[in-house]
Amino acid sequence: MRRANLPGWLFVVLVTAVAEAGVRLFELQDSVAAPSAALRALGDGLWSGTLTGEIATTLESYLEGLAVATVVGVALGLAIGSWRMLLDALSVVIEFLRPIPAVALIPVAILFFGLGMPMRRFVVAYAAVWPILIGTLYGALGTDRVLHDVARTSGATRLGTVVRVTLPASLPSIATGIRVSAAVALQVAITAEFFIGTDGIGAYMKHERLSFHLPQLYAAILLTGALGYAINRALRTTERRVVFWVGEAPTEAP
Amino acid sequence: MTTTAPARVARRLLGPAVFVAALALWQAWAAHKDSFLVPTVTAVAERAWDVWPTSGFIDQVTATLGRFAAGYVLGAAIGVAAGLVLGSSRAARRAFEPLQEFLGSTPAIAIVPAAIVIFGLGDATRVAVIAFAVCFPVLVSTIEGVRAVSPETRDTARMLHVGPAELILRIYAPAALPSIVAGLRVALAIGLIVTVISEFVVGSGDGVGRYILVQRTLYDAPGVYGGILFLGLLGYVLNRLFVVVERRVLSWHYGAAGESAR
Repeated sequence: MRRANLPGWLFVVLVTAVAEAGVRLFELQDSVAAPSAALRALGDGLWSGTLTGEIATTLESYLEGLAVATVVGVALGLAIGSWRMLLDALSVVIEFLRPIPAVALIPVAILFFGLGMPMRRFVVAYAAVWPILIGTLYGALGTDRVLHDVARTSGATRLGTVVRVTLPASLPSIATGIRVSAAVALQVAITAEFFIGTDGIGAYMKHERLSFHLPQLYAAILLTGALGYAINRALRTTERRVVFWVGEAPTEAP
Repeated sequence: MTTTAPARVARRLLGPAVFVAALALWQAWAAHKDSFLVPTVTAVAERAWDVWPTSGFIDQVTATLGRFAAGYVLGAAIGVAAGLVLGSSRAARRAFEPLQEFLGSTPAIAIVPAAIVIFGLGDATRVAVIAFAVCFPVLVSTIEGVRAVSPETRDTARMLHVGPAELILRIYAPAALPSIVAGLRVALAIGLIVTVISEFVVGSGDGVGRYILVQRTLYDAPGVYGGILFLGLLGYVLNRLFVVVERRVLSWHYGAAGESAR
């Protein structure tokens, strides 16, 4: 395990102190919140349950959309990567759909699904599915042919080979895909809330900005950052445990 | 596996054929459903044909591209510069790591409201947010590129008393270039997404994102779908252009990698 990075955290404290002093000395409270005020608002928001409720709403659509994207992306990626025919058939459709930014779909998704959870699940899933699909596809295409041949000559069925050989061999690139998706999906989930402004941490930030509650606004930003940080950390740790054979991220350029 | 020439041709045509079939299916479905939500393919194409060449639409595209380019260049410049410095100093890297990881995992949309308070409801906010989103992937890949410089190269430079500025500019920067370019490519897609986000949520104004919202209030479904389609095409073209430029700039890298056949 990595040791605690003391200089790094001291630097964070230093930056916070400088920001606090800067805001107070130059009386910038109208443009930014002082770290102390933001932290107090964060504590209040967590204690009273306002912030926790909003973040729970955000996490719900986020996690559900991401789960759908993972199942669909991995299944499709394995299928397309394992059957040449499917790859040929779907390549143009994928190339057409993939570059469409999911956030651009929010206005249309609202017309289809309304303002509730289904709309958010859809845009989150749409945004998250591509990195996972492409990661799985490349993983499947890059699987060692010898492993396939061994499995096939040992009497494994086509489907059995995909599940027992291609899937485990693709796990490292699936993990990378999920990590990329997790970041994009959070962005899209919060944007959707910001856009419709009913509930969730995105809507909360929008309203705190409009009513000029800067400490509350910065508390929400800090919480969102912490959430992104925690997700990123958790996925990296899981990745290291699950695909332990890959080792640390490559330090040598390819 | 042996493939005959006709089989190869059939395989290459399969993708486009499936695409056309999907469009035909959509067309039939939309015509049958006859709903405002689902415009036919031909209606979207007609609207695009009529609207895209007009100066009004081209102005929107120019506005989108302008703020995207400004934010991208600003973010990339900061990312590369900071990455070169942090990559070459272990102490600085360690000190900056938690802050960098925290800010890098903060979604750009989260800083939008704070940026609005500071920069107002205009392009300054949009460019700042795009730059924020672009900066971190470029920073990370630049650091990785510099760290991958071989110890032999570092030692040789030290032996020859190469100064720090020269070390960064003449040795680290070229060596890290392939990695930097990889980060710039990832940042391209992120930058475009955040450009659209910024047009959606920062005030009113112009841009293709804003065009989509305006057409929606006008109940112009073909216009809305056309706008989305345009953004997809824009992303595709930008990515393709990037690959072309990358091949040119990094031709030496690919050449060398090919020769050593690693």
